[in-house]
Amino acid sequence: MKKSKTKTALIVIAASIIAFLFLLPLIFMIFTSFKALGEAMSSSALLPKAWTSENYGSIFGIGAEVPVIRWLFNTGLVTIAGTALVVFVDVLAAYSLARLNLPGKKFFLSVVVAALTVPGIVTLFPAFYLFRQYELIDTYAPLVLIYSANTMGVFLIYSFLRGFPKDLEEAAFIDGASLLQILRFVIFPAIRPVVATLSVLTFLTIYNDFLWPSIVTSSDEMKTVTVGVANLVQGANFVNPGRMMAATVVATMPALIIFVVANKYFVRSVVSSGIK
Amino acid sequence: MKSKMLLSVLLIVAMILSACGGGGSGSSGETADGKIVIKYINGFTGGDGEYMKKITDGFNESQDQYVVEESQEKDHYTKFKTGSYDLVLIHSDNLQTYRQDNMIQDMGSVLEAAGISPDDFHPVAKEQVTFEGATFAAPLDIHPMTMFYNKQLAPEAPMTYEAMTDLTNTLQEQDSNLYATGIPSGGLPEWFYMTIAAQNNINLVEGNHLNFAQDEFADALMIYHDMIYKDNISPAGLGLDGEFQAFMKQVDEGGSSVQTATALTGPWYYQAVKEAYGDDLGIASAPQLGDQPGVYGGGHTLALPASVQDEEKKAGIAEFLKYMYTPENLLNWADSGQAPTHLATIELVEQDAEKYPLAAQNVQQFDSFVGAPQLYQYREQVRYMTESVFPQLVGDEGMTKDKLMSELQKATDQAAQVAETAPQ
Amino acid sequence: MGGISFLPDEMPFYLTDGGVLRTMRISRTWSIIMYLPFLICFVLFLIVPLVYGIWISLHSWSVFGGNGGFVGLDNYIAILTPGNIYSTSFYLGLKNTLVFVAISVIPLVVISLALALLVDAIPKKLKVYFRTIFFISYAVSVTAVSAIFKWLFTGNGGYVNNVMNSIGLSPINWLNEQPYAWVSILVATIWWTIGFNMILFINALDEVDETMYEASSLDGANWWEKFAYITFPSIKGVFVFLTIISVIASFNLYGQTLLITAGGPAQSTQSLIMVIQQMVFTQNNLGIGSAMAIVMGLVMMAIVAAQYFYSFRKE
Repeated sequence: MKKSKTKTALIVIAASIIAFLFLLPLIFMIFTSFKALGEAMSSSALLPKAWTSENYGSIFGIGAEVPVIRWLFNTGLVTIAGTALVVFVDVLAAYSLARLNLPGKKFFLSVVVAALTVPGIVTLFPAFYLFRQYELIDTYAPLVLIYSANTMGVFLIYSFLRGFPKDLEEAAFIDGASLLQILRFVIFPAIRPVVATLSVLTFLTIYNDFLWPSIVTSSDEMKTVTVGVANLVQGANFVNPGRMMAATVVATMPALIIFVVANKYFVRSVVSSGIK
Repeated sequence: MKSKMLLSVLLIVAMILSACGGGGSGSSGETADGKIVIKYINGFTGGDGEYMKKITDGFNESQDQYVVEESQEKDHYTKFKTGSYDLVLIHSDNLQTYRQDNMIQDMGSVLEAAGISPDDFHPVAKEQVTFEGATFAAPLDIHPMTMFYNKQLAPEAPMTYEAMTDLTNTLQEQDSNLYATGIPSGGLPEWFYMTIAAQNNINLVEGNHLNFAQDEFADALMIYHDMIYKDNISPAGLGLDGEFQAFMKQVDEGGSSVQTATALTGPWYYQAVKEAYGDDLGIASAPQLGDQPGVYGGGHTLALPASVQDEEKKAGIAEFLKYMYTPENLLNWADSGQAPTHLATIELVEQDAEKYPLAAQNVQQFDSFVGAPQLYQYREQVRYMTESVFPQLVGDEGMTKDKLMSELQKATDQAAQVAETAPQ
Repeated sequence: MGGISFLPDEMPFYLTDGGVLRTMRISRTWSIIMYLPFLICFVLFLIVPLVYGIWISLHSWSVFGGNGGFVGLDNYIAILTPGNIYSTSFYLGLKNTLVFVAISVIPLVVISLALALLVDAIPKKLKVYFRTIFFISYAVSVTAVSAIFKWLFTGNGGYVNNVMNSIGLSPINWLNEQPYAWVSILVATIWWTIGFNMILFINALDEVDETMYEASSLDGANWWEKFAYITFPSIKGVFVFLTIISVIASFNLYGQTLLITAGGPAQSTQSLIMVIQQMVFTQNNLGIGSAMAIVMGLVMMAIVAAQYFYSFRKE
């Protein structure tokens, strides 16, 4: 018993050291954002010698050069709309495939599975070109719509429904429930965990996407957080690391807070994604 | 669940609506009060943007016939390619590419209507915008390689190789982490190798492409290798934008970071270096490291998109250019630190050098300025040279002239192939 | 599985009320209506770009100029035949990307497994905190990750070099010398994505049958034997899945190399996606760019398929 206690203590200590190393880049980011230009450029100590909030002033102040708030808004809008669209479209399609009398069901199913293997890079540039032809570049349309062809979601929910008994639906139908009622009161509650998984995965995909938003946005107002921060890191814009880190902090904090608060939920949904 | 579905539907509707709202970028041509709209796009998102805005605002106030809608975008080239605009800012090294791709048109008649002659500009700027006798853009400014120096470390700007060597020796006695200047491996290499070519009177152009594989060019380039590995003028291993970053460092006892007394870099860093060094900051021309004076850099010009055909619009653009190229108005641009190429404005800048320190310093470099040659896809032609050859030159201590020559040959081959992709 | 359905699987259950044809017809209409939104999205944003991309790749196609004429397989021949600018940059990008796949997949999977085993051994009360910490970096977007690590690894007086200097190690020019540039990108990538892999492993570990451990303890099995004979076989599915996912993710290397090293030193971290992006946006050559993207897609599919069949044949 005593031996296992020391062992546990050792494990916790090791984990704590690793955890500290894991948090170090974030700590570094936060502290650097409070350094003035001279110190941020030249000193590499973790803690600022002289704390300053001027970097944040340049973000939130009047006539701020860096519209981080606008980028956050865009990211929020695009991720929520994109996720909602994917879930909406995929749930209906999966139910139709799994339960209803869809003509050519087998064909559609095999197309969905085949599409799972197509790497995104193949469709990316032609899709950009098409959006450009319709003058939709630099609008929300390409930022959201491209994710809607999400075959993985259809496949996930379809697989789940195939393993889910039909008795309840049959009973409801015999009781005179309409299709929409069955969807709402029987199917949705049942598939909630898979939908949660799909939402989280889609949310993370859209939130973290960089290449696509970087090619379909060009004005500062339409950029997502990822693209906006990238602009601060590149080339002649990389003048003031303190300001860059302040923008990064503001850009990252909302997601960090959501992660910490909804951690359990996130973990459970990633966990229940049914990957065996 | 119902509310969730409702939310989804609402979001999708909102999204489609906003998409439609943002998508309608067709040029309406006129405002509600009947003014003709001129859509002008540039990439001035840094500190200089507000000075350009002063010029457009001034024009709009002075006008009841035309109104200039100015967009300042970071990726203004992409935005320009995907939208419709009436006036566009083009860097001088891009002019040939945009001309050959039929993106911009001869603007001689517009300039004439504005009362602007190509001879109103410094000859080096005039040359940049003249293609086969026709004028394809109005020159705005030239930003040559500029020297910033830290007066505490270098009381006087070192203007020759010997002065650089002396400075570095003095500094090294103080602290082995102090150097005279820094040679970067990324960011501005193009400015370094084009400057040394200019200072040795080497013509890199051969027909429609760049020919780097020249014996004299290899010799000239080796000076940067010597500056690092032989004469200790620059520290080794400076990376992307290293010339600027090393200038901004502060060495501390026992630390590992290196600091330089001068930075050979772009004038756009002026705000940052001024903020860091205040009165200790000195500005000077690029030093002469080769046989003759010479300096490379970039330039901004204003061009007329090929799509503009409407005569009324052209008249409006001419009116705007007329306003902009009035010296009192263009002075705003000098105020941002940029060095205008308009001769009458240069005169005003030189008269008031106290007020325009950076511009006044840089207009002095115009006589020895050598800009980018007029080549198709110039930026692609120099890519291998910039991204691969130069980093090896400054990063590989064992670099020899023979090794360099074979790399220069590769860079030339690539440039020649890029040139071949030009539309016939 | 719950109750027993008395109907064949493929038959719509709405026929159970006596097989009224009308119901079936409604059902068919509704099936189509419900499938339609997905079908529209799927066709518009996947099938059309896919087919259009193949079509473009068979033409000389400029981003502004549009279609410059049918060229057959010339674009493919150009990028696959060595000795021209297109193939030079394509092979360079492919080589660099394959290098990253080779060096990253094993650490991404093995380190996350090790981390999962460590977290699994922590007492329940503390477990949740550690799990959160290790997962949190996944909330940071790739560009923010790059911003942080670019500055951490700066050669001239960066934080990492400063720490190394203070413990008596000589500084390393992380971002401008190989193999350190790859190490920097690898560290940034691991820090960024490992939490996600770890969570999947933790879940898999939770589902391992406890009684098997107890039985093996009675047999006197040591830690390694338990891992090799009980733990690993139980989580093998997740292991294979994560390996495949990591290969795909590493193939898509773009943000980190673009922002941390800008493709340097000497183009050695220029990834294939960076090459394609340049081809399309600076050379305006959509034809060559599309052909490159398709070849890249085929290479990825081949590697993933090989992995898939290899791990299943062994079963």
